[in-house]
Amino acid sequence: MTKMTIPFVDLAGQFRNIESELTTAFLDIGRSGVYIMGERLDSFELKAADYCDVKHAIGVGHGSDALFLILKALDVGPGDEVITATNSFIASAWVVAATGATPVLVDVAEDFNIEPALIEAAITEKTRAIIPVHLTGRPAPMDEINSLAERHGLHVVEDAAQAIGARYRGRRVGSLGVAAGFSLHPLKNLGVYGDGGLITTNDDKLASKLRVLRNHGLRNRDECEVWGFNSRLDSMQAAFAEIKLGFLDSWNERCRAIAVKYQTGLADFVQVPLDQAWEECVYHNFVIRTEKRDELMAYLLEHGVDTRIHYPIPIHLQDAAKDLGYKVGNFPNAEKYAKTMISLPIYPELSDAQVDYITQSVKSFFDELGKK
Amino acid sequence: MAITENFLPEQYRQNNKLGINHNYLDQQFSDHEVIWAKMREVVIRGDFTLGTEVDLLEKEYAKISGTNHAIGVGSGTDAIFLSLRALGVGEGDEVITTAFTFYATIGAIVTAGAKPVFCDIGADYNIDPLEIEAKITPATKAILPVHWSGKPCDMDAIEVIAQKHNLAIVGDACHAISATYKGRTAGSLGTLACFSFHPLKNLNVWGDGGIITTNSDELADKLRLMRNHGLVGRDECHMFAYNSRLDTIQAVVARHLLGKINHITESRVAHADYFDQELRSVEQIIIPKRDTDIYQVYHIYSICCQRRSELQNYLIENGVDAKVHYPIPMHLQPAADYLGHKKGDFPIAENIADNTISLPVHEFISRDQQDHVIKLIKAFYD
Repeated sequence: MTKMTIPFVDLAGQFRNIESELTTAFLDIGRSGVYIMGERLDSFELKAADYCDVKHAIGVGHGSDALFLILKALDVGPGDEVITATNSFIASAWVVAATGATPVLVDVAEDFNIEPALIEAAITEKTRAIIPVHLTGRPAPMDEINSLAERHGLHVVEDAAQAIGARYRGRRVGSLGVAAGFSLHPLKNLGVYGDGGLITTNDDKLASKLRVLRNHGLRNRDECEVWGFNSRLDSMQAAFAEIKLGFLDSWNERCRAIAVKYQTGLADFVQVPLDQAWEECVYHNFVIRTEKRDELMAYLLEHGVDTRIHYPIPIHLQDAAKDLGYKVGNFPNAEKYAKTMISLPIYPELSDAQVDYITQSVKSFFDELGKK
Repeated sequence: MAITENFLPEQYRQNNKLGINHNYLDQQFSDHEVIWAKMREVVIRGDFTLGTEVDLLEKEYAKISGTNHAIGVGSGTDAIFLSLRALGVGEGDEVITTAFTFYATIGAIVTAGAKPVFCDIGADYNIDPLEIEAKITPATKAILPVHWSGKPCDMDAIEVIAQKHNLAIVGDACHAISATYKGRTAGSLGTLACFSFHPLKNLNVWGDGGIITTNSDELADKLRLMRNHGLVGRDECHMFAYNSRLDTIQAVVARHLLGKINHITESRVAHADYFDQELRSVEQIIIPKRDTDIYQVYHIYSICCQRRSELQNYLIENGVDAKVHYPIPMHLQPAADYLGHKKGDFPIAENIADNTISLPVHEFISRDQQDHVIKLIKAFYD
């Protein structure tokens, strides 16, 4: 097998494929002098709302702000508690802390998503909301979570940062809770060239409130309705996002096809993520599990394949969380996965030959291990 | 069906047909192909999320500010918010500031969890230092002077008070790049200084952006953590923090303009001086107090005038984009209802808000255009 060098991401590849569209948009915006809000943002918001099957899409500064602003708009603050998954990017928890509320962490299931059976035990009188994270692009078990939330009178805010385009029982993520936060960070399935984020909701009142909150709380140029924030999706980034949205389904399909190849090729060697009948994961990450994690990572790197761990330290064991009082052993699944997970490269520009090479390299690792 | 209802201020509209405009971005960025070529390199390199261009801008910005550190962030608002949080300002604390500012100053204080405590302003539209001391309580944590329109506040007086009461000073220098106070740059005034790169600022980018300057190593380290999820490296989170980064491609724009900042500033100052000179004799107009030891950079050129609304309408009808920055002071905003202020609490701020008008002085305004504006104003009062 000839050695290949396969990066974990290939943003330049995607850029070259759509460069002429991006350049045209950029130069148009350059000439227009409208760099904040404006038609480009309006247009992207309308298309994103249609894409996610919701009434409102609201562009914001980034994915973390999307969640933070939703929580603020729901009046979550000091003294409140918000439940989220401990195996996630750190932002899922700090957005809660940033409102003054306390993040309450819960362990995850085999699919890396929050375990609904464990949520109930974490609910207290102070709980105001649940933030299920659609980790790796796989929808969290929303039916169970929504029925729990309904029983306890809680808001469900989707952390859809990694999951744009994913479906759960035929419905797009972003339409499955009171509101959802998406990230448009460059590494996401729909990524811009800097920080960007998006909120979706079907709630008219919440949407109006969010549009005011993200723009200094302004009712109009001269009147400030509420002391707000400044968290806007730059017009330029909105234009890039709109162009890319046109390709998103085909890109996601390609990622799903790559996932199937990995699943078929690797199931005998490692734990591979699998789709349930009711879900359509968009594979922002393809995370396998093996007891030989560190050795496999080193082997792959040696063979030119760049991999990552999402995430090596669960949130409850981060320094930042020390005041929350968690300790090792609190969330055995997340802790076990943190030691056994690897994310393999997965992006639309990855060729079949590259996928085969990666698959083959994983197999060779285990073959050689068997011989030892 | 999808719905949008976004509020877009007039100054951004593409079809603004006024001849003499506040918005000059199409002229300023007539070389946008050059900028795109530079941004393209960043995109191809995949150098997002801070990255080389941000590092370089921070070094260059610290240098022009004469400070040890500059930290790029998401916006001027975030610069203030993060500065307050880095100082530990939060729930139950009070921050003393001016009643005459842009909403973001107050939004940042409130977002940090603190209570804004307002002071009236002086004849220079800046916080009146004589008002500050009476507002200090055990809960006061910081003074937040706003260098309004690009004119530094009376920092000697403010520093004495801050020192006496052991308070931090966070400078809202969003209007004040290149301004100086007794030879000191706006970036070096106070514990921390906050700048905006909003598209309509003297140094601007193509979206939101901001930067914080400070001489404190400790605060700089903390701010670098706080703006990037509290992360040290990729995987270790030292504190629950925030995400507020200056986009790498926006740092490209800022660096592109940084070389032109002296020209931008000097043009504005020259245009403002000319308006001052020509309008001083108009008896219906009051030019704000100017100080010889302060270099004011005129992000906004505002004066007070009689029959303000009529004059503004007259100028607009005649193709001059006259604006009001801003007609309602902070304590009278609906958002301030909970603070219990009423009309009359800050009479100078209210008076300025009622009578101020702003004229365009950016670098693309010509002498002919200025003469035209002056002629119109004189004709209006005649």
